[in-house]
Amino acid sequence: MQPDLNQYKELARRYGIAPTPESVSRLTQLIARQDSCVDEIVRVIEKDPGLSARLLRVANPRAADESEYTVGTVDEALMRNGIGCALLLAMGTPLSLALVKTFQTMLSLKLESVDVHQLDSLTGEHMRCSIGFAGKVTGHVYLRMSPVTAKAIAAGILGLAPQELTDNDEIRDAAGELLNIMTGNFKSNLCDAGLDCKLQPPKVGMSRDLVTPIEPGSGLERLAFRAGKIEIFVEVTANPWAD
Amino acid sequence: MATKILSVDDSRTIRLIVGKAFRPYDVTILEASNGEEGLGVAAREKPDLIILDVTMPVMDGVTMLGKLKEDPALKAIPVIMLTAESGRENVLQIARLGVRDYLVKPFKEEQLIEKAGRCVTLEKRPVAAPA
Repeated sequence: MQPDLNQYKELARRYGIAPTPESVSRLTQLIARQDSCVDEIVRVIEKDPGLSARLLRVANPRAADESEYTVGTVDEALMRNGIGCALLLAMGTPLSLALVKTFQTMLSLKLESVDVHQLDSLTGEHMRCSIGFAGKVTGHVYLRMSPVTAKAIAAGILGLAPQELTDNDEIRDAAGELLNIMTGNFKSNLCDAGLDCKLQPPKVGMSRDLVTPIEPGSGLERLAFRAGKIEIFVEVTANPWAD
Repeated sequence: MATKILSVDDSRTIRLIVGKAFRPYDVTILEASNGEEGLGVAAREKPDLIILDVTMPVMDGVTMLGKLKEDPALKAIPVIMLTAESGRENVLQIARLGVRDYLVKPFKEEQLIEKAGRCVTLEKRPVAAPA
Protein backbone atom coordinates (compact mmCIF):
# COMPACT_ATOMS: atom_id res chain seq x y z
CA MET A 1 0.00 0.00 0.00
CA GLN A 2 1.32 3.49 -0.84
CA PRO A 3 2.59 5.54 2.14
CA ASP A 4 0.17 8.39 1.24
CA LEU A 5 -2.79 6.01 1.30
CA ASN A 6 -1.75 4.65 4.69
CA GLN A 7 -1.32 8.16 6.00
CA TYR A 8 -4.72 9.20 4.62
CA LYS A 9 -6.41 6.19 6.21
CA GLU A 10 -4.84 7.06 9.57
CA LEU A 11 -5.94 10.71 9.24
CA ALA A 12 -9.45 9.70 8.12
CA ARG A 13 -9.72 7.47 11.22
CA ARG A 14 -8.46 10.26 13.48
CA TYR A 15 -10.76 12.92 11.99
CA GLY A 16 -13.77 10.59 11.74
CA ILE A 17 -14.07 10.83 7.92
CA ALA A 18 -16.44 8.17 6.57
CA PRO A 19 -15.07 6.20 3.60
CA THR A 20 -16.85 6.09 0.22
CA PRO A 21 -18.51 2.69 -0.40
CA GLU A 22 -15.92 0.28 -1.82
CA SER A 23 -17.97 -0.55 -4.95
CA VAL A 24 -18.35 3.15 -5.81
CA SER A 25 -14.60 3.85 -5.31
CA ARG A 26 -13.66 0.83 -7.41
CA LEU A 27 -16.08 1.78 -10.18
CA THR A 28 -14.81 5.36 -10.33
CA GLN A 29 -11.19 4.17 -10.42
CA LEU A 30 -11.96 1.79 -13.30
CA ILE A 31 -13.68 4.53 -15.30
CA ALA A 32 -10.86 6.99 -14.61
CA ARG A 33 -8.29 4.54 -16.05
CA GLN A 34 -9.90 4.81 -19.51
CA ASP A 35 -8.31 1.51 -20.62
CA SER A 36 -10.43 -0.69 -18.31
CA CYS A 37 -12.35 -3.42 -20.06
CA VAL A 38 -16.13 -3.32 -19.91
CA ASP A 39 -16.25 -6.82 -18.36
CA GLU A 40 -14.36 -5.57 -15.33
CA ILE A 41 -16.80 -2.67 -14.91
CA VAL A 42 -19.78 -5.00 -15.37
CA ARG A 43 -18.46 -7.30 -12.59
CA VAL A 44 -18.13 -4.42 -10.11
CA ILE A 45 -21.65 -3.13 -10.86
CA GLU A 46 -23.25 -6.58 -10.77
CA LYS A 47 -21.82 -7.22 -7.30
CA ASP A 48 -23.82 -4.25 -5.95
CA PRO A 49 -27.61 -4.65 -6.36
CA GLY A 50 -28.18 -0.95 -5.72
CA LEU A 51 -25.74 0.12 -8.44
CA SER A 52 -27.19 -2.45 -10.88
CA ALA A 53 -30.74 -1.21 -10.30
CA ARG A 54 -29.71 2.42 -10.79
CA LEU A 55 -27.75 1.66 -13.95
CA LEU A 56 -30.80 -0.01 -15.48
CA ARG A 57 -32.90 2.96 -14.40
CA VAL A 58 -30.47 5.32 -16.17
CA ALA A 59 -30.36 3.07 -19.25
CA ASN A 60 -34.16 3.11 -19.55
CA PRO A 61 -34.95 6.81 -19.21
CA ARG A 62 -38.45 6.61 -20.70
CA ALA A 63 -39.66 3.57 -18.75
CA ALA A 64 -42.18 4.24 -16.01
CA ASP A 65 -41.17 1.04 -14.18
CA GLU A 66 -39.12 -2.16 -14.59
CA SER A 67 -41.84 -3.84 -16.69
CA GLU A 68 -41.16 -1.26 -19.42
CA TYR A 69 -37.38 -1.72 -19.50
CA THR A 70 -35.99 -2.39 -22.96
CA VAL A 71 -32.45 -2.71 -21.59
CA GLY A 72 -32.47 -5.56 -19.07
CA THR A 73 -28.88 -6.40 -18.11
CA VAL A 74 -25.89 -4.46 -16.79
CA ASP A 75 -23.80 -5.65 -19.74
CA GLU A 76 -26.37 -4.43 -22.25
CA ALA A 77 -26.84 -1.12 -20.43
CA LEU A 78 -23.12 -0.37 -20.62
CA MET A 79 -22.85 -1.44 -24.27
CA ARG A 80 -25.78 0.75 -25.26
CA ASN A 81 -25.12 3.77 -23.08
CA GLY A 82 -21.35 3.77 -22.77
CA ILE A 83 -19.03 4.20 -19.83
CA GLY A 84 -20.31 7.72 -19.21
CA CYS A 85 -23.48 6.09 -17.97
CA ALA A 86 -21.48 4.18 -15.34
CA LEU A 87 -19.73 7.38 -14.33
CA LEU A 88 -23.08 9.05 -13.67
CA LEU A 89 -23.89 6.06 -11.52
CA ALA A 90 -20.64 6.34 -9.59
CA MET A 91 -21.25 10.05 -9.09
CA GLY A 92 -24.89 9.69 -8.10
CA THR A 93 -24.14 7.45 -5.14
CA PRO A 94 -21.99 9.89 -3.13
CA LEU A 95 -24.42 12.69 -4.06
CA SER A 96 -27.36 10.69 -2.75
CA LEU A 97 -25.51 9.60 0.40
CA ALA A 98 -24.47 13.18 1.14
CA LEU A 99 -27.99 14.55 0.63
CA VAL A 100 -29.60 11.86 2.81
CA LYS A 101 -26.90 12.34 5.48
CA THR A 102 -27.35 16.13 5.41
CA PHE A 103 -31.07 15.79 6.06
CA GLN A 104 -30.49 13.24 8.81
CA THR A 105 -27.71 15.25 10.47
CA MET A 106 -28.90 18.82 10.13
CA LEU A 107 -32.69 18.44 9.94
CA SER A 108 -33.31 15.11 11.72
CA LEU A 109 -35.35 14.07 8.68
CA LYS A 110 -35.19 10.69 6.99
CA LEU A 111 -34.96 11.51 3.31
CA GLU A 112 -35.73 8.58 1.03
CA SER A 113 -34.54 8.07 -2.49
CA VAL A 114 -37.55 7.42 -4.73
CA ASP A 115 -38.01 6.70 -8.39
CA VAL A 116 -38.26 10.06 -10.13
CA HIS A 117 -41.50 8.91 -11.79
CA GLN A 118 -43.15 8.44 -8.40
CA LEU A 119 -43.20 12.19 -7.80
CA ASP A 120 -45.24 14.78 -9.64
CA SER A 121 -42.99 17.06 -11.65
CA LEU A 122 -42.41 20.57 -10.38
CA THR A 123 -44.66 23.11 -11.99
CA GLY A 124 -44.31 26.86 -12.22
CA GLU A 125 -41.65 28.82 -10.46
CA HIS A 126 -39.23 26.79 -8.36
CA MET A 127 -35.79 27.17 -6.83
CA ARG A 128 -32.99 25.96 -9.06
CA CYS A 129 -29.46 25.65 -7.69
CA SER A 130 -26.54 24.56 -9.83
CA ILE A 131 -22.84 23.88 -9.45
CA GLY A 132 -20.52 23.27 -12.35
CA PHE A 133 -17.38 21.14 -12.13
CA ALA A 134 -14.51 21.12 -14.59
CA GLY A 135 -11.31 19.15 -15.06
CA LYS A 136 -10.83 15.54 -16.16
CA VAL A 137 -14.58 15.26 -15.87
CA THR A 138 -16.94 18.16 -16.56
CA GLY A 139 -20.60 18.70 -15.89
CA HIS A 140 -23.20 20.18 -13.59
CA VAL A 141 -25.27 19.19 -10.59
CA TYR A 142 -28.72 20.74 -10.33
CA LEU A 143 -30.96 20.83 -7.29
CA ARG A 144 -34.63 21.78 -7.76
CA MET A 145 -37.34 22.25 -5.18
CA SER A 146 -40.52 24.23 -4.62
CA PRO A 147 -40.27 27.60 -2.82
CA VAL A 148 -42.15 26.13 0.16
CA THR A 149 -39.67 23.25 0.41
CA ALA A 150 -36.69 25.62 0.11
CA LYS A 151 -38.07 27.72 2.97
CA ALA A 152 -38.78 24.68 5.15
CA ILE A 153 -35.25 23.35 4.61
CA ALA A 154 -33.57 26.69 5.34
CA ALA A 155 -35.65 27.16 8.48
CA GLY A 156 -34.85 23.63 9.64
CA ILE A 157 -31.10 24.05 9.09
CA LEU A 158 -31.11 27.37 10.98
CA GLY A 159 -33.32 26.05 13.80
CA LEU A 160 -36.19 28.43 13.05
CA ALA A 161 -39.90 28.03 12.34
CA PRO A 162 -40.62 28.68 8.62
CA GLN A 163 -42.69 31.78 9.49
CA GLU A 164 -39.67 33.26 11.33
CA LEU A 165 -37.62 33.13 8.15
CA THR A 166 -38.40 36.18 6.03
CA ASP A 167 -35.03 36.85 4.42
CA ASN A 168 -34.92 35.36 0.91
CA ASP A 169 -31.11 35.66 0.89
CA GLU A 170 -30.95 33.25 3.85
CA ILE A 171 -33.18 30.78 2.01
CA ARG A 172 -31.02 30.98 -1.11
CA ASP A 173 -27.79 30.69 0.90
CA ALA A 174 -29.06 27.58 2.72
CA ALA A 175 -30.09 25.94 -0.57
CA GLY A 176 -26.70 26.77 -2.09
CA GLU A 177 -24.90 25.33 0.93
CA LEU A 178 -26.97 22.15 0.72
CA LEU A 179 -25.81 21.71 -2.88
CA ASN A 180 -22.25 22.61 -1.85
CA ILE A 181 -22.19 19.86 0.76
CA MET A 182 -23.51 17.28 -1.72
CA THR A 183 -21.09 18.17 -4.49
CA GLY A 184 -18.11 18.49 -2.15
CA ASN A 185 -18.61 14.87 -1.13
CA PHE A 186 -18.89 13.56 -4.69
CA LYS A 187 -15.99 15.69 -5.92
CA SER A 188 -13.80 14.05 -3.25
CA ASN A 189 -14.70 10.65 -4.66
CA LEU A 190 -13.90 11.72 -8.23
CA CYS A 191 -10.55 13.23 -7.27
CA ASP A 192 -9.56 10.18 -5.20
CA ALA A 193 -10.20 8.04 -8.29
CA GLY A 194 -7.96 10.23 -10.46
CA LEU A 195 -10.70 12.31 -12.09
CA ASP A 196 -9.41 15.63 -10.78
CA CYS A 197 -11.87 18.48 -11.07
CA LYS A 198 -12.66 21.80 -9.48
CA LEU A 199 -16.05 23.03 -8.34
CA GLN A 200 -17.42 26.37 -9.47
CA PRO A 201 -19.36 28.57 -7.02
CA PRO A 202 -23.05 27.60 -6.67
CA LYS A 203 -25.69 29.58 -8.55
CA VAL A 204 -29.09 29.89 -6.91
CA GLY A 205 -32.19 31.45 -8.37
CA MET A 206 -35.86 31.04 -9.19
CA SER A 207 -36.75 29.43 -12.51
CA ARG A 208 -39.76 28.27 -14.51
CA ASP A 209 -37.55 26.33 -16.91
CA LEU A 210 -37.61 22.59 -16.31
CA VAL A 211 -35.30 21.67 -19.18
CA THR A 212 -31.83 20.59 -18.06
CA PRO A 213 -29.06 21.71 -20.42
CA ILE A 214 -26.90 18.77 -21.50
CA GLU A 215 -23.50 19.48 -23.04
CA PRO A 216 -22.47 17.42 -26.12
CA GLY A 217 -21.00 14.06 -25.07
CA SER A 218 -22.59 14.23 -21.63
CA GLY A 219 -25.09 11.92 -19.97
CA LEU A 220 -27.86 12.86 -17.57
CA GLU A 221 -29.10 11.16 -14.45
CA ARG A 222 -32.18 12.26 -12.53
CA LEU A 223 -32.65 11.47 -8.85
CA ALA A 224 -35.61 12.21 -6.61
CA PHE A 225 -36.00 12.26 -2.84
CA ARG A 226 -38.87 12.60 -0.42
CA ALA A 227 -39.37 13.18 3.31
CA GLY A 228 -43.00 13.83 4.18
CA LYS A 229 -44.10 16.84 2.12
CA ILE A 230 -40.53 17.68 1.16
CA GLU A 231 -39.68 16.66 -2.39
CA ILE A 232 -36.27 17.28 -3.97
CA PHE A 233 -35.05 16.70 -7.49
CA VAL A 234 -31.36 16.27 -8.34
CA GLU A 235 -29.93 16.12 -11.85
CA VAL A 236 -26.35 15.34 -12.79
CA THR A 237 -24.79 15.84 -16.21
CA ALA A 238 -21.26 14.58 -16.78
CA ASN A 239 -18.76 14.12 -19.54
CA PRO A 240 -15.80 11.93 -18.51
CA TRP A 241 -12.33 12.51 -19.93
CA ALA A 242 -13.40 15.96 -21.09
CA ASP A 243 -9.81 17.23 -21.14
CA MET B 1 -12.52 36.87 29.31
CA ALA B 2 -14.67 35.06 26.73
CA THR B 3 -13.02 32.60 24.34
CA LYS B 4 -12.78 34.09 20.83
CA ILE B 5 -13.64 31.81 17.90
CA LEU B 6 -13.30 32.93 14.28
CA SER B 7 -15.62 31.29 11.75
CA VAL B 8 -14.38 31.66 8.16
CA ASP B 9 -16.93 30.46 5.61
CA ASP B 10 -18.47 32.01 2.50
CA SER B 11 -21.83 30.53 3.47
CA ARG B 12 -23.81 32.70 5.85
CA THR B 13 -25.82 29.59 6.73
CA ILE B 14 -22.73 27.82 8.06
CA ARG B 15 -21.60 30.90 10.01
CA LEU B 16 -25.08 31.11 11.57
CA ILE B 17 -24.98 27.40 12.50
CA VAL B 18 -21.53 27.81 14.06
CA GLY B 19 -22.77 30.84 16.03
CA LYS B 20 -25.84 28.90 17.20
CA ALA B 21 -23.71 25.90 18.28
CA PHE B 22 -21.59 28.05 20.60
CA ARG B 23 -24.48 30.16 21.97
CA PRO B 24 -24.65 28.25 25.29
CA TYR B 25 -20.96 28.91 25.90
CA ASP B 26 -19.02 31.97 27.00
CA VAL B 27 -17.68 32.50 23.50
CA THR B 28 -17.36 35.54 21.24
CA ILE B 29 -17.90 34.56 17.62
CA LEU B 30 -16.01 36.50 14.94
CA GLU B 31 -16.87 36.04 11.27
CA ALA B 32 -15.21 36.31 7.88
CA SER B 33 -16.50 35.23 4.48
CA ASN B 34 -13.19 34.36 2.79
CA GLY B 35 -9.55 33.67 3.58
CA GLU B 36 -8.36 37.22 2.98
CA GLU B 37 -10.93 38.67 5.38
CA GLY B 38 -10.15 35.83 7.78
CA LEU B 39 -6.44 36.70 7.90
CA GLY B 40 -7.33 40.33 8.64
CA VAL B 41 -9.66 39.41 11.50
CA ALA B 42 -7.15 36.88 12.86
CA ALA B 43 -4.33 39.47 12.89
CA ARG B 44 -6.54 42.06 14.57
CA GLU B 45 -8.40 39.91 17.09
CA LYS B 46 -5.99 37.02 17.78
CA PRO B 47 -8.78 34.44 18.19
CA ASP B 48 -8.28 31.36 20.37
CA LEU B 49 -9.59 29.05 17.62
CA ILE B 50 -10.32 29.31 13.89
CA ILE B 51 -13.00 27.22 12.16
CA LEU B 52 -12.14 27.28 8.47
CA ASP B 53 -13.90 26.28 5.25
CA VAL B 54 -11.85 25.12 2.23
CA THR B 55 -13.64 26.30 -0.93
CA MET B 56 -14.22 30.05 -0.79
CA PRO B 57 -13.94 32.93 -3.23
CA VAL B 58 -11.09 35.48 -3.09
CA MET B 59 -8.82 33.27 -0.94
CA ASP B 60 -9.53 29.62 -0.18
CA GLY B 61 -9.06 27.96 3.19
CA VAL B 62 -5.92 26.03 2.27
CA THR B 63 -4.16 29.27 1.25
CA MET B 64 -5.32 30.99 4.42
CA LEU B 65 -4.08 28.08 6.54
CA GLY B 66 -0.68 28.23 4.83
CA LYS B 67 -0.40 31.97 5.47
CA LEU B 68 -1.44 31.56 9.12
CA LYS B 69 1.28 28.96 9.65
CA GLU B 70 3.91 31.27 8.06
CA ASP B 71 3.03 34.11 10.45
CA PRO B 72 4.90 33.84 13.80
CA ALA B 73 2.15 35.84 15.52
CA LEU B 74 -0.69 33.59 14.29
CA LYS B 75 0.78 30.15 13.72
CA ALA B 76 -0.04 28.83 17.19
CA ILE B 77 -3.80 29.44 16.79
CA PRO B 78 -5.46 26.02 16.44
CA VAL B 79 -7.48 25.53 13.26
CA ILE B 80 -10.37 23.13 12.65
CA MET B 81 -11.23 22.63 8.97
CA LEU B 82 -14.99 22.50 8.37
CA THR B 83 -15.57 21.39 4.80
CA ALA B 84 -17.54 19.09 2.53
CA GLU B 85 -14.32 18.04 0.79
CA SER B 86 -12.67 15.00 2.28
CA GLY B 87 -10.63 13.85 -0.72
CA ARG B 88 -7.26 12.23 -0.07
CA GLU B 89 -5.09 15.01 -1.53
CA ASN B 90 -7.03 17.70 0.31
CA VAL B 91 -6.80 15.96 3.67
CA LEU B 92 -3.10 15.14 3.29
CA GLN B 93 -2.20 18.67 2.18
CA ILE B 94 -4.16 20.25 5.00
CA ALA B 95 -2.72 17.86 7.60
CA ARG B 96 0.83 18.69 6.42
CA LEU B 97 0.14 22.40 6.81
CA GLY B 98 -0.69 21.76 10.46
CA VAL B 99 -4.40 21.64 11.12
CA ARG B 100 -5.62 20.62 14.56
CA ASP B 101 -8.75 18.79 13.45
CA TYR B 102 -11.05 18.20 10.48
CA LEU B 103 -14.84 18.06 10.42
CA VAL B 104 -16.71 17.02 7.29
CA LYS B 105 -20.02 18.69 6.39
CA PRO B 106 -22.77 17.79 7.09
CA PHE B 107 -22.04 17.92 10.80
CA LYS B 108 -23.90 17.93 14.08
CA GLU B 109 -23.41 20.93 16.34
CA GLU B 110 -22.33 18.54 19.12
CA GLN B 111 -19.48 17.25 16.96
CA LEU B 112 -18.23 20.78 16.42
CA ILE B 113 -18.45 21.54 20.15
CA GLU B 114 -16.60 18.32 20.99
CA LYS B 115 -13.77 19.06 18.56
CA ALA B 116 -13.58 22.73 19.64
CA GLY B 117 -13.54 21.64 23.29
CA ARG B 118 -10.33 19.71 22.61
CA CYS B 119 -8.66 22.94 21.44
CA VAL B 120 -10.00 25.63 23.78
CA THR B 121 -11.76 25.91 27.13
CA LEU B 122 -15.52 26.13 26.67
CA GLU B 123 -17.39 27.37 29.73
CA LYS B 124 -21.16 27.50 29.85
CA ARG B 125 -22.62 30.98 29.99
CA PRO B 126 -24.04 31.77 33.42
CA VAL B 127 -27.82 31.35 33.45
CA ALA B 128 -29.55 34.68 34.16
CA ALA B 129 -31.29 34.70 37.52
CA PRO B 130 -35.09 35.08 37.34
CA ALA B 131 -36.25 38.65 37.97
